Amino acid sequence: MPEFSGHLSLRAATRTHGRTILAAQSFRAPYHLSKPYWDPDTLTLLAQVVNPTAGILSGDQLASDISVDAGAALLVTTPSASRVFKMKDGTATCRQQFQVAAGAWLEVMPEPLVPHRGCSYRQATTIAVAAGGELFFADLLMPGRVAHGEAWEWHRLCLETTVRLAGELILRERFHHTGDDLRALAALAGSGPGACFGNAVLIAPERPTDAQWRASLDTLHGDGLWIGVSALRRGGWSIKWAARDGIRLRQGLREVRKTLARYFPHLACDPRKL
Amino acid sequence: MTLGPVTDTDAAWLLGLLQAGDSFYPTGSYAHSFGLEGLVQQGVVRDRATLRDFIVLSALPALRHTDLPLAAHAWRAFGEANWPRIGELCVLSSALKTAREARAASENIGRQRAELMASLRAHPLAQEFLQRASAENWPHSSAVSAALEGRVLGAPLTAVLAGMAYATLASLLSAAMKMLRLGQNAAQSLLTEALAATPALITAAELTACEDIGWFNPWLDIAAARHETANSRMFIS
Repeated sequence: MPEFSGHLSLRAATRTHGRTILAAQSFRAPYHLSKPYWDPDTLTLLAQVVNPTAGILSGDQLASDISVDAGAALLVTTPSASRVFKMKDGTATCRQQFQVAAGAWLEVMPEPLVPHRGCSYRQATTIAVAAGGELFFADLLMPGRVAHGEAWEWHRLCLETTVRLAGELILRERFHHTGDDLRALAALAGSGPGACFGNAVLIAPERPTDAQWRASLDTLHGDGLWIGVSALRRGGWSIKWAARDGIRLRQGLREVRKTLARYFPHLACDPRKL
Repeated sequence: MTLGPVTDTDAAWLLGLLQAGDSFYPTGSYAHSFGLEGLVQQGVVRDRATLRDFIVLSALPALRHTDLPLAAHAWRAFGEANWPRIGELCVLSSALKTAREARAASENIGRQRAELMASLRAHPLAQEFLQRASAENWPHSSAVSAALEGRVLGAPLTAVLAGMAYATLASLLSAAMKMLRLGQNAAQSLLTEALAATPALITAAELTACEDIGWFNPWLDIAAARHETANSRMFIS
């Protein structure tokens, strides 16, 4: 099985007609980029990153660098879950960097990560937002191939997120539980054997309406979904949710985006238009 | 820690750590449950058994991967008067806590601990730290202040981390006794069990690289976030 040193680089910018375009792009397998779609309703460029291979394998080293220039608005998504396959040995890594300029909007909303039994995977996400830039970044995690009775059986999983606003560190998270520990935590919380997680970061200047959308998100709590919203040390919000299964996980994300879209109109962009 | 007979110097820092770790010491930690009240409100922690699970699965790993290594790095930085590094660790400590109340608890306790060191001991290291933190707008951190206490008292790293772990676990169990049907003996049995696991955590934390610091329990973060807007509550966090 070949190992990939995947590479993806995108730069979104505006042109005189006001639309966002991809001013620069380059990619190498296993990354592939579908033709971007300009959504005139939300004034957002939708870019879909596709992994045409079955998924992530031992030895894969993926690197991506996506930037959005002032005035541009970009939604980056994926059409299907990212599967990380069983590894006899070795590991796979993914380093992703995002830069958002002042006056720019970036949403990153990939489909869930599905770590298979025995996989070893490290994902390091670095986000830099300039003062006045806005971002919604959502990471979804499934416990494994639940339909096959496989959950929490990865060998090693480490998801790191670092966010800087105007150069200052405002968020640093490391999610590196063993499967056994996370299974036990899910059991303690009553989330069940198929519990899934959503972890989102919203970076935006403080607005008078923040209390409104926050109260609306709080009402989503219940019926197999835990959700909590809290202010970061400055300039943004942490939105976390835990769901009893993958269906409720995705439903939670849809409800979060729908609620927030009333205040952040780019979030009304439908990622499935492509 | 010295391997020979106990000396007056050992007794001095030991007494200082005992003072700083005592519930009589006014750090304000008695007002915080560190997210536990949120989990009690969600019905997750409801008795001794579920409290034990929470300590084993959440409180101890958080100490191991976050607060203890932060304090270890800060203790070394204070020893070298590496102020830029200390500032970075203060910011990192704040950035690692996504729940606002958890962050505020660490900042308030950290500030109080640093100010007590400066006022009670009139120690130049504590005074300089406070001046720099104010001038450069560093967020305070309970872990960094624990390291500062250790340096002011002349305590070795392992003892500082042990004192910090004890104070954290004792505060948590003290808060639990106010929310659950949990007697003193039951709380002490849990504390004893948790403390038995602590030396291994300290050893591991001392070796943790700065880039490997960090850990979170998603359900605790969610419960802590929801606690901010709870209709009724006993604790600030």
